[in-house]
Amino acid sequence: MPDKKAATPQNTDAQHSDSSAFSRIFNKLGIYVVVILLILLGMAVSGGQFFTSGNIQSILEAVALIGMVASGLIFVTYSGNMTDMCIPMEMAFAGMMTVQCINFGFWAALLAGILTGALIGLINGFMIGKLRANPIIWTWGFNLLLSGIVRVVWGGKQLYADTVAESTDFAQRSAEQFYSISRTYIGGIISLMAIVMIVMFAIAWFIHAKTAFGQKLKIIGTNYDVARFSGINCTATLVLTYVLCGVSSACGGIFYAALRKTASYENGTGYDFSCLTAVLLGGVLLSGGKGSVVGAFGGVIAYGILNNILSWVGLGTYEKYLVQGIVFLFIVWLNTYSNRKLGKA
Amino acid sequence: MKNDKKPGFNLNFINTNRSYFFLLLILFCGLFAKNFFSAYNICAVTGNGSLVIYLGLGFTLCLIAGHMDLTVMYVSTFASLLCLGLRASSGLPWAVCILLATLSGTLVGLVNGILVTKFKIHSFIATLGMQFVVKGAMYIYTGGAELSIGRDYALNEALNGTVGPLPVSLFFLITTAVTFLLMAVLRYTAFGRNLCMIGGSLETAWLAGVNSSLVTTMTFIISSTICAFGGALNGIYSGSASITMGEKGISPLMIALTAAIIGGTSIYGGKGSVVWTWVALVAIAFLKSLCKKTELQVLVIAAILIVCIFYETLAKYHRDRVVGTRPNLRLEYLNESRK
Repeated sequence: MPDKKAATPQNTDAQHSDSSAFSRIFNKLGIYVVVILLILLGMAVSGGQFFTSGNIQSILEAVALIGMVASGLIFVTYSGNMTDMCIPMEMAFAGMMTVQCINFGFWAALLAGILTGALIGLINGFMIGKLRANPIIWTWGFNLLLSGIVRVVWGGKQLYADTVAESTDFAQRSAEQFYSISRTYIGGIISLMAIVMIVMFAIAWFIHAKTAFGQKLKIIGTNYDVARFSGINCTATLVLTYVLCGVSSACGGIFYAALRKTASYENGTGYDFSCLTAVLLGGVLLSGGKGSVVGAFGGVIAYGILNNILSWVGLGTYEKYLVQGIVFLFIVWLNTYSNRKLGKA
Repeated sequence: MKNDKKPGFNLNFINTNRSYFFLLLILFCGLFAKNFFSAYNICAVTGNGSLVIYLGLGFTLCLIAGHMDLTVMYVSTFASLLCLGLRASSGLPWAVCILLATLSGTLVGLVNGILVTKFKIHSFIATLGMQFVVKGAMYIYTGGAELSIGRDYALNEALNGTVGPLPVSLFFLITTAVTFLLMAVLRYTAFGRNLCMIGGSLETAWLAGVNSSLVTTMTFIISSTICAFGGALNGIYSGSASITMGEKGISPLMIALTAAIIGGTSIYGGKGSVVWTWVALVAIAFLKSLCKKTELQVLVIAAILIVCIFYETLAKYHRDRVVGTRPNLRLEYLNESRK
């Protein structure tokens, strides 16, 4: 593990002060401590009903979509480009395209949706990797453009798979198959969405830890100029980063459309914020080059449990915003603070 | 020097004044629309577009300082709710209501500034979080209900009414006055010049002895205060306020960003003018009345935004490619001109 080698010099530094030891521990696997604390809190709050199959199922379902998207977003954050504001429209557009192509069969529709996400990622990657556009402003503006395109092309309407599908047997069957992907339960408890999320995280872990791409991304995230001068093809790496983010967002969008049974332009609203929160909770640094997929997975779980606990306490959707915002700010502050204590500001 | 004179068509002139050309283009297109230039239409369009002008001013100010402020929209909505809510619940005079609502914006700006300068969080991320805090506070205050002005129509009519022979409402005139006041602050005070300097280069500002933390905090405070003031006035102007105000169709925040960038505010900070943003926002307000369908509005505004960002990015890309390749470019130039 390369991480352990990197940790050794920090170990000696950490003996100098308590605060940097705390920072180091937080930056390692601190999120799983938080997860355990949250589970204990959840058991206290829910009065013993936390571990019922219904509750675990609802946590996993709520987490699954965020997790799918976050497994791609982690690469963007890790590469030092903060966040991809295109995520809402990547999700919505992929869902729309999948429903629109449902007549060509279920698998072709899925492919169309994922290719849409990949194409959006490709454009983002070209603009940010090649032309060095401001990552936030470009993706934000592009999100608006995509929203305009989707609204004009489909007239601002919602799409339903069973009405889009022709009356042939084949098309109807594929529409039903499309609806069923978000409602399949393996072993009666764990939904297919959660399985897909875990598989995507496993793939993300492999790409991040075991391939040359992951190592290149670490250098790019740490220092872009150094990476460029040491002969790394930054353009290709960043394009691949955004394509990965696009594909994972598209997967999330397709499952979301299947879950809600509708595809519309406002499908992914709010996911940019919640996925970023989850990724940052998992200890990925905003400035890039630090963090792990395992940590991000913990972040996603912690975010889901936190939301679940807030529901048990009895907060509505809107009161949750306040708590989520404060938690987000606190996490970002801790993130930045520990970074500065480790001398990596 | 005679070499400075460029022959023919000057693209740079068009680029610098692109917001004016944008306004002219929209007004020209307006010639073909029915009743576009009637006094009623102009009054309604400029009045309804005024809220976004306040947001645009706040956003531009932060963008010049090299930061982004996403809270502007929610700050103004919260201020309008607070203004109408205070009036309905305790019957305070309007001036006090507006003042208290504006102070709520000042508070949010102060928190933003502290998050950015003391906690060293990137402004985009900090305000993204604050946005949800303000949103949550807003829902808790109203419980999701829509607040209405009731039967206090005096100030509402005054804001809606026209002044003298001008075909614009009082609300728009106040907006314009605020814009030019802000322009004067940016241009003629030490604070304004420091603001541009920390946006252009933080290191230079530090070397020049500018207290950048103070200036950044002040920027966020002014930006949020202006937006809260605008929101409070807009609540009175439109007679009602709800938590989803401005969320129908295209988000006002995106319009503010678009206008700031069309107006020529650099996305890298350090350059920009509130007057350019004002012109661009008036143009966008007319554009919205020109194409009635929301879908088309979103597409047109987004297309303009993307073209502007693309142009700026490309220009910077070409500039960066030249940097360092010919270090003695200026000497070469001087030698050539001497010959």
